[in-house]
Amino acid sequence: MSMRSWGKSKGDRSQKAKQELSSPILERLAEMKVSGRLDDTIEAIEEAMQDDFDFVVRRFKAFGRFPAALLFLTSMTDQNAINQELMKPLMHKSSDLADAEIDSGQLHDMILNETLYHSNVGTECQLDVLVQGILRGESVLVVNELNTSFIVRTCHVDRRAIDQPATEQVIRGPREGFIEMLETNISLIRYRLQTPELKVRSMTIGRRSKSLVAVCFMEGVANPELLEEVERRLSVIDIDAVLDSGYLEQFIEDNHYSPFPQVQYTERPDKVAANLLEGRIAILVSGSPLALIVPAVFNQFYQTVEDYTERFLLMSAIRVARFIALVFSLVFPALYVSIISFNPELIPTEFAVAVAGGRAGVPFPAVIEVLIIEISMEVLREATIRLPQQVGGALSIVGVLVVGQAAVAAGFASPITVVIIALTTIGSFATPAYNAALALRLLRFPLIVMAGIFGLYGVMIGFILIANHLLSLKSFGVPYLAPLVPGSFQGMKDLVVRAPLSWMSERPSFLYPKDKARLSDAAMEEMKKQPHNALDPMNLNDQPKES
Amino acid sequence: MANIRQITAIQSSAVLASTIIGVGVLALPLFAVKAADAGAPLVTLLGMALGYIGLYLITLLGIRFPNQSIVQYSEDIIGRWLAWVGSVAMIAFFAVITALGAREFGEVVVTSVLKNTPLEVTVVVMLALATISSRVNVTTFAYIHNFYFPLLLGPGFLIVALSMKNADMINLQPVWGNDPSGMVPGILTVAALFQGSFVMTLVIPAMRRPDRALQASFWGIFIAGSLYVSIVVAAVGVFGSEEIKHLLWPTLELAKATTLPANVLERLDAAFLAVWVTAVFTTLLSTNYLTIRMTTELFRLKDHNLFATFLLPVIFVMALIPKNIFQMYAVIERVGRIGLAITIAYPGLLFVVALIRKKRGKRPNENAMEPAR
Repeated sequence: MSMRSWGKSKGDRSQKAKQELSSPILERLAEMKVSGRLDDTIEAIEEAMQDDFDFVVRRFKAFGRFPAALLFLTSMTDQNAINQELMKPLMHKSSDLADAEIDSGQLHDMILNETLYHSNVGTECQLDVLVQGILRGESVLVVNELNTSFIVRTCHVDRRAIDQPATEQVIRGPREGFIEMLETNISLIRYRLQTPELKVRSMTIGRRSKSLVAVCFMEGVANPELLEEVERRLSVIDIDAVLDSGYLEQFIEDNHYSPFPQVQYTERPDKVAANLLEGRIAILVSGSPLALIVPAVFNQFYQTVEDYTERFLLMSAIRVARFIALVFSLVFPALYVSIISFNPELIPTEFAVAVAGGRAGVPFPAVIEVLIIEISMEVLREATIRLPQQVGGALSIVGVLVVGQAAVAAGFASPITVVIIALTTIGSFATPAYNAALALRLLRFPLIVMAGIFGLYGVMIGFILIANHLLSLKSFGVPYLAPLVPGSFQGMKDLVVRAPLSWMSERPSFLYPKDKARLSDAAMEEMKKQPHNALDPMNLNDQPKES
Repeated sequence: MANIRQITAIQSSAVLASTIIGVGVLALPLFAVKAADAGAPLVTLLGMALGYIGLYLITLLGIRFPNQSIVQYSEDIIGRWLAWVGSVAMIAFFAVITALGAREFGEVVVTSVLKNTPLEVTVVVMLALATISSRVNVTTFAYIHNFYFPLLLGPGFLIVALSMKNADMINLQPVWGNDPSGMVPGILTVAALFQGSFVMTLVIPAMRRPDRALQASFWGIFIAGSLYVSIVVAAVGVFGSEEIKHLLWPTLELAKATTLPANVLERLDAAFLAVWVTAVFTTLLSTNYLTIRMTTELFRLKDHNLFATFLLPVIFVMALIPKNIFQMYAVIERVGRIGLAITIAYPGLLFVVALIRKKRGKRPNENAMEPAR
């Protein structure tokens, strides 16, 4: 199903779905407004919030004479701020107010302009908005005889500290990772890109979770068409809750049935900043430490941020190694199976004899043997991830060393099979993007089966099928294998090797950025000049002579 | 999204070259040697020249009618019913070519690698692969060729380079062969191997700049032709013309005779054949795609995907008609001759009529290609 028709059918249904998905309590409140009577308002809100033990209604007399109440959730608010910035000034009895006649308009202005010591205050009369505000952790101040209420942003939720990214570690580069709080995550991006061109648009997705989604882009760099499409795809999502950015990813990707990820995720703010500067768009969701980056192309999945911070020659070599690991993790076991069972004449005779010797006691054909070991390897891998850390180390030693050794000793598998599978597994861990590694690891199983049936011929057929699928994939209109196919010489500089930064003076052309130049011509000129030898002894003639 | 013309000249060269390079390479030295023993490289070169004439005519026609494929503009040129006959002939021819290509490679695989596998299985696997991959638009079709293009040239030239050390120059002399009388049929046979270049008629309506199609077609056929000539040179140089006459697939024997330095792989033939799957695949994809697209255009169908599936069993049955390898090669030779009339004489006729009637297509417009899916 194409994206377009999918979006359309979604839109048609949204009218009917409204009743099914939305919260009935809020809907009941939607028609009600704050009346001048304090008790009515409190009663309505209390009815909505009944059974919530952390909901507090604090009644008091503002300025000693006007009945008022402050409503908030203790679990979501900063008690100290409420005491100091709201309650204290409101309950302060001013002597010159004691007898003065104050009408409701004056009272409203006085509270808003003179009393509330808080920077973020809004006024609202719609009851459902007030309740939503309370649920977000805001405090609502209701005053008798006033037709509007005040919403003060006092929310405070405990957050974990900014930490090293657990899944994308680098040796050289920033050490910060995103956390679950959206504001913190945006601040991490903002202080890296302190320019007014960095724009953050927000929307709320999820009928019950009301998750705040932020779309970050660089104005004047990101293509407006792309931005429009991203916002369109996001706006048609109608789901009860967005618990992680992964939910959004599955709605906005182009091909829902492909094993390959068409959206990149990262927990590194510096990676998001770099991608924004290339003309991509980042999507962040409150409650998720992973930002989504669109559009994604295949070569991003074996690149790391470190490639750009370390010297280009070394990182190019490492990137090639990573690429080889990626290819290995896909085809290595399949090649092994096909050579062993169909074309042993390909490998040198001495080695073929060794392989045959190792396999002498193994009762199964090579395919079965490899499949068994592969599957047990996957089980081990999954077990090590799920286990508590204290046991994980023990399991990996028992699983990998003891079981592997014992399997060979028992004549269950040949030692070379174990070596091949181990190399493959390690190769798949060398791929920086977990989701891409997962896709390739999954596809290796059909390849092994093909190798078992048709040998090298089958491996090639499988490879062609995978490659054709990759070639027909698109992420937001960008061909998935860009810049290899369709070829772009500028893009090739950052494909398998990483060229010096001075060579890559343009942003990737397949993203059609508005502003192409990345590096000023003057800086390029300067790099081409002979370096000035500041400490050349010939130039430093007024140096004191050593005697 | 996909209805803009976005195939570049380089991509169209890649499409041409990877379409031309196919399973025919395996038997090519045998054809050439049979025609003019030591003059085989010359025969190949002349065959390539003849193939280029056909391609040149198609390209000229394509530039003249940059928004239409041959099925569409032939109706403008010679009238609907005559063109219908021509188009049906072309469709039938490329369906047969697809069937024979799959059969030929199936025979190669069954004979040399998978000795216990039934021929039907290898044939149907190749055809299914081509059918599944045909369900794409022209842009992706060009991407597929572009992607595999280096994979074809690399191993081909590697085999040539590695085997050259065993070659003897005396085997290649005299350059015109001992008996030049067989030259002409030889040239025709070799030129038939270049018939895949007809795919250019599909590519031009999707090219970003159709005026560069001539350059693209020259480079495409030059790259494919130079691989052909160097393989013939290497095969004749290593084995000598008399020996080749006893070999069924001299190129495969060439791969068998070469070893990689440092003895990484003891023998190269199975690996070469594995890589050659991609070459055969791209050729089958092109001919299959041509058949399907021309049919959809002829019957003015909206979508070619469904038709691709229906065509598969027809082509499969056709592939199984020849009784054995020798009958198959006889059929290939005969079909190739007929094909020359279709791929060279018919476009030539169209071109002449177009010149006389002063027919000309509209200027290239942005939305000429197929509608977006």
